[in-house]
Amino acid sequence: MKNDFKIKKVVYGILPYAAMIFALGVILLPVVSMVMSSFKSPETFMSSTSFFPEKFSLDYYRNVLGKTHFLKYLINSVVIGVLVSLFSTFLSILGGYALSRFKKRVKGLKFYTIFLLALQMFPVVQLIIPLYLTFQKIGITNTRLSVFIAYSTFTLPLNIWMMQSYFDGIPYELEESGRIDGCSRLQCLYKLIVPVAGPGISSVSIFAFNYCWNEYLLGSLLLKTDGLRTLPIGLQNFMQEQTTDWGSLMSASSLAILPVLIFLIVMQKQIISGMMAGSVKG
Amino acid sequence: MKSLKKFIKSDTAFAWILLAPATLALILIRVLPLIEGVGISFTNRRLLNDRPTRVVLFENYIRVFTQDKEFWNAFLFTLIYTVFVVALSYAIGLMIALLMNMKIKFRGLFRVLLLIPWIIPAVVAAASWKWALNDQSGVVNQILKSLHIVSSSIPFMANPFWAKLVAIFFGAWKNYPYMALSLLAGLQTVPEDTKEAARIDGANTFQLFFRVTLPQIRPVTVVCTTLMFIWTFNNFDNIYLLTGGGPDGASQVISVLSYYSAFARMNMGYASAISTVMLVFMLIVAVFYIKMVMKEDKE
Repeated sequence: MKNDFKIKKVVYGILPYAAMIFALGVILLPVVSMVMSSFKSPETFMSSTSFFPEKFSLDYYRNVLGKTHFLKYLINSVVIGVLVSLFSTFLSILGGYALSRFKKRVKGLKFYTIFLLALQMFPVVQLIIPLYLTFQKIGITNTRLSVFIAYSTFTLPLNIWMMQSYFDGIPYELEESGRIDGCSRLQCLYKLIVPVAGPGISSVSIFAFNYCWNEYLLGSLLLKTDGLRTLPIGLQNFMQEQTTDWGSLMSASSLAILPVLIFLIVMQKQIISGMMAGSVKG
Repeated sequence: MKSLKKFIKSDTAFAWILLAPATLALILIRVLPLIEGVGISFTNRRLLNDRPTRVVLFENYIRVFTQDKEFWNAFLFTLIYTVFVVALSYAIGLMIALLMNMKIKFRGLFRVLLLIPWIIPAVVAAASWKWALNDQSGVVNQILKSLHIVSSSIPFMANPFWAKLVAIFFGAWKNYPYMALSLLAGLQTVPEDTKEAARIDGANTFQLFFRVTLPQIRPVTVVCTTLMFIWTFNNFDNIYLLTGGGPDGASQVISVLSYYSAFARMNMGYASAISTVMLVFMLIVAVFYIKMVMKEDKE
């Protein structure tokens, strides 16, 4: 009897780990398969049915980095991502602070928060037609400026919402003591609040950057010259043009997620708290 | 003049000045185009403005609702797709959340790995799925064959039924991390003493789950499933990049259909009508959601 009990305990102890490893195996299968295939050698690629590379090779990586525009796409994505992130974060700090501190006292701000909430629910597809036509009229289609404007604005509602949530969690005592010491409201913001708002600000910048890194629809319409394209559009185009070169596609894709994975490992806490903002109360 | 100076120093002015740049951007890029888009739906605008556009009022809408089989097929599948993706991602998310809620080691590592489907670009995710499902060397078919579940490869992407199923599973796979994290946060708010009391009263694991845990996470459940419903319904990338709506419109959704109408068939007026129908549908859902959020705020 005693042994039965002990065995039960051991099995129950291992069960969660076994379940988790099984779940991860199934969930990550496509991604791992993609990475494995990227290291296969070109001669045996199409006929190879084994999971692991039969002959480890970096040929596809060499092809992607040397012969395609991959690095150009990467640089475009990074530049646009950083610029949009900076701009969007700056505007969301201002807006989020205003909403957080004044929504009870200033008329119309409560409605503004609902306005932001509603904006996040509308289909992007509805906007692409008028936006495309307007950008065409101004003559900025096929420029990185158009993408910068579009991406910055599209990240605003969620980012302002997140900053508002975050500022809600910072006690008002900080500003009170600042005002007693003679700070203006603006000084309170950038001298007292912003320095302690690190996690919130980094969540928001990461979100904006990730949006730009992953965005496909707007970019595919607005960036037609290959040299201007960001990573997702460049990759998709590569897939459509080189329909038989799956090996290079696999290496390009594996390279594309590398920065994302590094980001994820380094910034998990901020990413997760950003994802949670607004969905769970208290 | 005194009252003007007073106004400038007031809270109202301060708050709105802080919000001004963002508001300007949002109005120019989100609100005005929205209205413009609805306006275009009442015309017969084409992509290349090669002939004068004229107002056709509700012609586009009448065509959408009465003559367009493609639209109704896509609308139906969009609803089916959305419901199943939400349900499936909830189920997976809940199971993962329950697992993560147990006191297991390496939680940090597991959490990072579990977030991968959500955080990678849809382009890469779709490419990896297409590769894994391909009928020549794809790992899924290899596994199915080696376990003798099938004798020859299943052409997942070329078969209408399988394409629909794959689209749904892809959507759930891409989105479950959001559900899992939200539900985990919700699970962690279930007070330990309530569970202890129930256990002392003789509840077994099933009863504990259905009578104590599930009701406690009801608010999170409602919020997350509604958000997920909205995001999935509106989503363009996942279907477009994975199946393109094919084969032959089997997995077509209305967001992709609107895109095709605008940029492949060049009929922008008609495409705007389709996307405005989406908008109205979402408006109704949004009103429901906002009412719910305001109710939660009051409680």
